[in-house]
Amino acid sequence: MDELVEIRWHGRGGQGAVTSAELLALTAIREGKVAQAFPSFGPERRGAPVIAFNRISKDKPIRARAAIAEPDIVIVLDPGLLGIIDVAHGLKDGGTLVVNSPRELSAVNSEIGGPWRLAVVDATRIARDILKRPIVNTAMLGALVKATGIVNLESLFQPLQERFGRLAESNIKACREAHKETLIMEPTPGAKRPEKVYPVEKWPSWKELNIGFVVTEVGSARGYQTGYWKSEHPVRDNERCIKCGMCALFCPEDCIRQTEEGYFEADDFYCKGCGICARECWTGAVTMVEV
Amino acid sequence: MGRRVAFESSCAIAEAAKMANIDVCAAYPITPQTHIVERIAQLIADGELDANYMPVESEHSALSGCLGSSAAGARTFIATAGQGLELMHEVVYVASGMRLPIVMAVCNRALSVPLSIWGDHSDAMAVRDTGWIQIFAENAQQAFDLTLCAFRIAEDPAVLLPTMLHIDGFHLSHVIEPVLLPEQEEVNEFLPRYHHPFVLDPKSPVTMGDFATPALYTEAKVGQDVALRNSLKVILQVFQEFGERFGRDYSPVETYKTEGAEVLLLTMGSFSEVAMEAIDRVRGAGEKVGLVRLRLWRPFPFEQFRQVVNQARLLIVLDRALSFGGPGPVCSEVQAALYHLRQRPQVVGFIGGLGGRDISVEGFQDMVHRGINKAKQGKLGEIEVFDVREQ
Repeated sequence: MDELVEIRWHGRGGQGAVTSAELLALTAIREGKVAQAFPSFGPERRGAPVIAFNRISKDKPIRARAAIAEPDIVIVLDPGLLGIIDVAHGLKDGGTLVVNSPRELSAVNSEIGGPWRLAVVDATRIARDILKRPIVNTAMLGALVKATGIVNLESLFQPLQERFGRLAESNIKACREAHKETLIMEPTPGAKRPEKVYPVEKWPSWKELNIGFVVTEVGSARGYQTGYWKSEHPVRDNERCIKCGMCALFCPEDCIRQTEEGYFEADDFYCKGCGICARECWTGAVTMVEV
Repeated sequence: MGRRVAFESSCAIAEAAKMANIDVCAAYPITPQTHIVERIAQLIADGELDANYMPVESEHSALSGCLGSSAAGARTFIATAGQGLELMHEVVYVASGMRLPIVMAVCNRALSVPLSIWGDHSDAMAVRDTGWIQIFAENAQQAFDLTLCAFRIAEDPAVLLPTMLHIDGFHLSHVIEPVLLPEQEEVNEFLPRYHHPFVLDPKSPVTMGDFATPALYTEAKVGQDVALRNSLKVILQVFQEFGERFGRDYSPVETYKTEGAEVLLLTMGSFSEVAMEAIDRVRGAGEKVGLVRLRLWRPFPFEQFRQVVNQARLLIVLDRALSFGGPGPVCSEVQAALYHLRQRPQVVGFIGGLGGRDISVEGFQDMVHRGINKAKQGKLGEIEVFDVREQ
């Protein structure tokens, strides 16, 4: 392997990106390599985009602790992130991009293909089939190994065993299945980077801040589009809905409002897809459907 | 034209708070500061001062309460000492980060353990890096004058930083001296009502003390640091205006008989006046020795300090605090201030006056001579604790 391989994981809070990075580092270290895993430290919120990192080398000590800006490998756990986050940002030419997507390899390639190897697997389906829940991190480890050979597939299983206990067997199965199903496309010569422009956050200089770091904009949190954290959203069956409003009462985001017809509807801009409304709906009118 | 009264420094500060027409005072009693807030409580109870007095259950709560009143735009005063200042420590940072012009009198007291109610500068040094302006007074008159200056400096629109006025526990707090009091109108003219650009007001809500990710924290703190550094200009202006109005002049670095001095002694606080007596004696014996009194500890007045000391051959620094395992904090700062100068005095540091230990006039004479001898012997890096029993 190269002297140093740098990896960036993109996922959402709760999908296990941080766990994946940890398991990969444990595996690499067991193989006798030098490795490091760390999350992008910050407030943890289920569903919000998160980043985790790995550095792996054959035997060279790893000292850098800063976030990885120019990764050799990028792994995307959530297909919904492709539209909102510049996942390929800084990805080296000749690197590898591993994406969880239900779409065809060629379709993903037309969206996010570039001067890198592209690997695609429908990890969400595999996880739903095998784990009975859409937690894709162990499947994506299998896809990563298939696309890069960064560690041996078998080496992953012991750390998975220790980490997941009674759930280990199904996770190993998901990992194997994803390894088998992952499709890979080598970069075409002269391939260009995607042209989509993502908004770049503009931070103020110290001179632009108010005295005492006072925030004068009232209700500035309303601008946070928490709605894009979700992987599922609530769908209402009007036949069953009795307009009782229990869903709105229990919504932790307080984003469910009564419509003119009397039904209760979640505001897509804020709904994080937690599913509490569906759980509380005692007539079974609300079900969670994948976005 | 005012009147001459007998006050201990504690009462002089309480009187200054009254004449500054404070709106709020919160405090938890602690020796040797208790007289200040007792006196303020009395003034409010007697109807001489129209202010809210917040009795609280701890110093942490006292300063937290002051955050609220100052954030609402009230002129806010607080006093504490030693352990009390330590207990409020985290809130001390919050007050400066929020840029609230609270004025706090600190009756410098040694820190436990062993428990000591007596004075030294350990408490003042422990809050050195909290972002407050720190001013030292040397007598009761200065304690009065500089309390008024502290409000004026803190509330200046170009400053908006909390300010500590340090008086030495017991050596100042409990010593009765003559004090000249100005007329109330004179104080009103010097210290008009102030307006903070951001105040807590339900009609115009703001968020204070917000959270910052790594992308913003540095910028927020740099803004605060620049404000503290720039406050020096305002401090100079305020001292000048005070001198013009009241006839008593103050400066960030003050001197005594430094003309032509080859050796300088540096002190802070009430011991400076004792040291002046010693300087008189050694000058009388024909020795070219002068005294530098550091009035402003934060922001450190680098330029003024360098100008005062750069012609001297030797600078003897007294620290009334230990920085365990390192040089005294004042000595350390002074050496850093001089390091890049082409022409600079040698520096000898002493630690002394810990936990209320007196240094007499003769003691300061001795310190000067010991300092000169140590420099002659090349023992510049040695940190000597003055008047410690070795056997």
